[in-house]
Amino acid sequence: MSNDILLSARDIRKSYYIGTPNELEILHGIDLDVRRGEFVSIVGQSGSGKSTLMNILGILDRQTSGTYTLDGVDISQAPNKDLSSLRNKHIGFVFQTYNLIARTDAIANVEMPMLYAGVSPKERRQRAIELLEMVGMKERMHHTPDELSGGQKQRVAIARAMANDPDIILADEPTGALDSGTGRLVMDIFHELHEKQGKTIVLITHSNELAAETPRIITISDGNIISERNNDGKGVA
Amino acid sequence: MIKENCKLAIISIKANKMRAFLTMLGIIIGVAAVIAIMTVGNSMTAGVQKQMESYGVKNISVSIEQIDYSQELSEADEENMKLSPETIHSLVKRFDKQIDAISIDSSIGSGTILVNNNKVQVEATGVSAGFFKANNIKLVSGNFFNEIDYSQGNNVAIVSEKFAKQVAGENYKPEDVLGKDYEVNINDEYLNIKVAGIYEYNQAGGNSRSKSTPMYMPIASAWNFSHDKDIYYITVVASESTDPVQFSNDLKTFLTEKLTTQLSDKFMVSVYSNQSMIEENTKMMNQMTMAISLIAAIALIVGGIGVMNIMTVSITERTREIGTRKALGAPDGMIMLQFISEAIILCLIGGIIGIIIGLILGDVASHIMGYAPHVSMASIYMSVGFSMAIGTFFGYSPAKHAANMNPIDALRYE
Ligand SMILES: Nc1ncnc2c1ncn2[C@@H]1O[C@H](COP(=O)(O)OP(=O)(O)O)[C@@H](O)[C@H]1O
Ligand SMILES: [Mg+2]
Repeated sequence: MSNDILLSARDIRKSYYIGTPNELEILHGIDLDVRRGEFVSIVGQSGSGKSTLMNILGILDRQTSGTYTLDGVDISQAPNKDLSSLRNKHIGFVFQTYNLIARTDAIANVEMPMLYAGVSPKERRQRAIELLEMVGMKERMHHTPDELSGGQKQRVAIARAMANDPDIILADEPTGALDSGTGRLVMDIFHELHEKQGKTIVLITHSNELAAETPRIITISDGNIISERNNDGKGVA
Repeated sequence: MIKENCKLAIISIKANKMRAFLTMLGIIIGVAAVIAIMTVGNSMTAGVQKQMESYGVKNISVSIEQIDYSQELSEADEENMKLSPETIHSLVKRFDKQIDAISIDSSIGSGTILVNNNKVQVEATGVSAGFFKANNIKLVSGNFFNEIDYSQGNNVAIVSEKFAKQVAGENYKPEDVLGKDYEVNINDEYLNIKVAGIYEYNQAGGNSRSKSTPMYMPIASAWNFSHDKDIYYITVVASESTDPVQFSNDLKTFLTEKLTTQLSDKFMVSVYSNQSMIEENTKMMNQMTMAISLIAAIALIVGGIGVMNIMTVSITERTREIGTRKALGAPDGMIMLQFISEAIILCLIGGIIGIIIGLILGDVASHIMGYAPHVSMASIYMSVGFSMAIGTFFGYSPAKHAANMNPIDALRYE
C-alpha cells in the first residue's frame, strides 16, 4: 500500500438554489484526503449530504466552491467535455439501486465502460468474463438484469465498476437495498478487492455497523465532517 | 462503435416490438405508397410508350376538325371537312423528301363469309399502300397488293392469320387460303374477293376475344364497292431522318395556308404526331407520379414526426439508463449516436418493409391494369435514402436532448 494521496478535497461547498432568493448550502466546507489503497467509509444519517459529496468526488457534479484534485488533476479546471473520460478512466461507481442497463446481459453491462474507453471487443469480452468470475457471476453472464436477484445485480455492478481498473471505487449505499445475507456477500467482495488487489474504495453508508468494517471512518452530519478515526482491528458485525 | 450502436438499437427496438411497429407504420405506408405509385407509373409509361411505338413513332395524323363542336353543320359545311385528292397530292409534292408513305383507310363495313356452314366475320377496310407501313403490318405469306390492284381497284384482299385459321383450320397451309375466292356479305351486298396475302395477327394488339378481324383491300376497290370516295383523315409517315414533331408543325402551316377558303372560320387543320402524343403522355404520367409522390412524402413526414415522438418517449423512459451510461464514461457524442442510430434503424426497417409491400402492391396493380411491371430502381434508392434522412432529421432533437442531460439529474430520475 503506497502512501501517496489519490484524491484531495479542500473546503468543498455545495449549494442548491431552490428558487430565488433561497440558497441552500448542503456541504459546508469539506476537507478530505484519500490515499491510494485506502478503504474509507463515509457514514452519516440520511440527508446529511453523503450522496452530494460522492457525486462531486465522482465528477458527476461540480462543487459550488473549493478545490478537488484527483490523481493530480484539478477537476474544477477541467472542461465539461473531459469529465466523462475522467470518470471512465478513474472512477468505478456502485449504486444503491444497481443501475444495470435493462435488457442488456450481465457481460454486456460489464463491457460497457470498456466500450466507452475504446477497448477492443475481444479484450473487453475476456476481461468481462474474468471480472464476472471474480464476483461469482460467470455462470450468469448471459442473464439480463430482470433475471437476476438484487445481490446478483450488485455483484455484476461491482464487476462493471472494476472494468477499467479504476483508481477508486465509489459505492453509495451498495447494500442499502439488500437483505443482510446478500449484503454480507457484497461487503466481502469489497474487502477482497481492497485486501487482494489494493483497490481504493470509498463506501458511503448510513450504517455504523458497516462503517465499522472499514479501516478508516469519516462521519458526516449536516454537511460537515464531524469525526474521522482509524479503525485498527477490523470490526466485524 | 457503429456496430455497437446498431446492436444497442436493435435490442431496444426488439424490447418494444409493438411500439416500434406502430412507430414505423407511417414510414411503411409512405414508402410503400411511393414504391407502388412509382412502379405503376413506370409500368404505365413503359406500356403506353410501347403501345404507341407499335403504332409508329413517325406517324402523323392529318384531318380537318371543327373549331366549335357545338355548332350545327350544314351539308355544304360537311363537304368542307373532307381532304380532297388534290390536297393530298399537293402535300406529297411539297414534302416529297420528308414523306415516307401516306396511309389512307376507309371502312367498307362488317362482313360475313360463309365457309362450310360457318360464319367467319371480317371488318372490310380499303387501304392505300402506305397503310401497311404506317400500321406496321407484316405478311406471313402471300404478297401485298401491286400497282395494278391499287389503280384498278381489283377485288383482292389481305386477311389475318386468324381468318386463315377460321376458314382452313388451326394447321392450315398457306395455299389453302392464298388465291382462294370468298364471297363477303356486307349488309346483304356481295363482294367477291381473292386472297393475296395473310398478315401476322397480333393477339395482344387487338381485341383478342372478338371473332372479327380486319380484312384489307385496295382503297380503289372499296370506293368501287361503296361508291363513296370521301377521305376525312390521312396518316403521313415521316421519313427516317425527319423529326415528326417539327414536321407536323410544317404540315399544319402548309395546309392551313393552302385551305384557307375551305376552312373558313369554322374549321382548322388538325395535325397530331404520335411522337408528340407519346411525349405528352410521358409528361402527364410524370406529373401524376410527382403529384401522388408528394402526398406520399407528406405521409413520410408524418411518419417522421411519429418517430420523433416515440424517440422522445423512449429517451424519457430511459433517463436513468442515460445517466448510468454517462456515469460509466459515455461521451455526449456516443449517447447522441446511440439514439440517432436507433431512429435511423427504426426508419430503415420501416423503409425496407415499405419497399417490399410497395413492390408487391405495384406489381399487382400493374398486372391488374394490364401493364408489365417496371420497377423503378430510383424509387428504391430514394426510399432508403429518405428513410435514413428522416431518422436522422427527426431523431436529432431527441438524441441531442439525451446527450445534453445532466448525469445526476438523469440518475436521480424516477
Ligand atoms: N438537486 C437538489 N436540489 C435541492 N436539494 C437537494 C438536491 N439534491 C440533494 N438535495 C438535498 O441535499 C441534502 C443532502 O442530500 P444527499 O446528499 O442525497 O443526502 P444523503 O445521501 O446523505 O442521504 C438533502 O437534504 C437533499 O434534500
Ligand atoms: Mg444518499
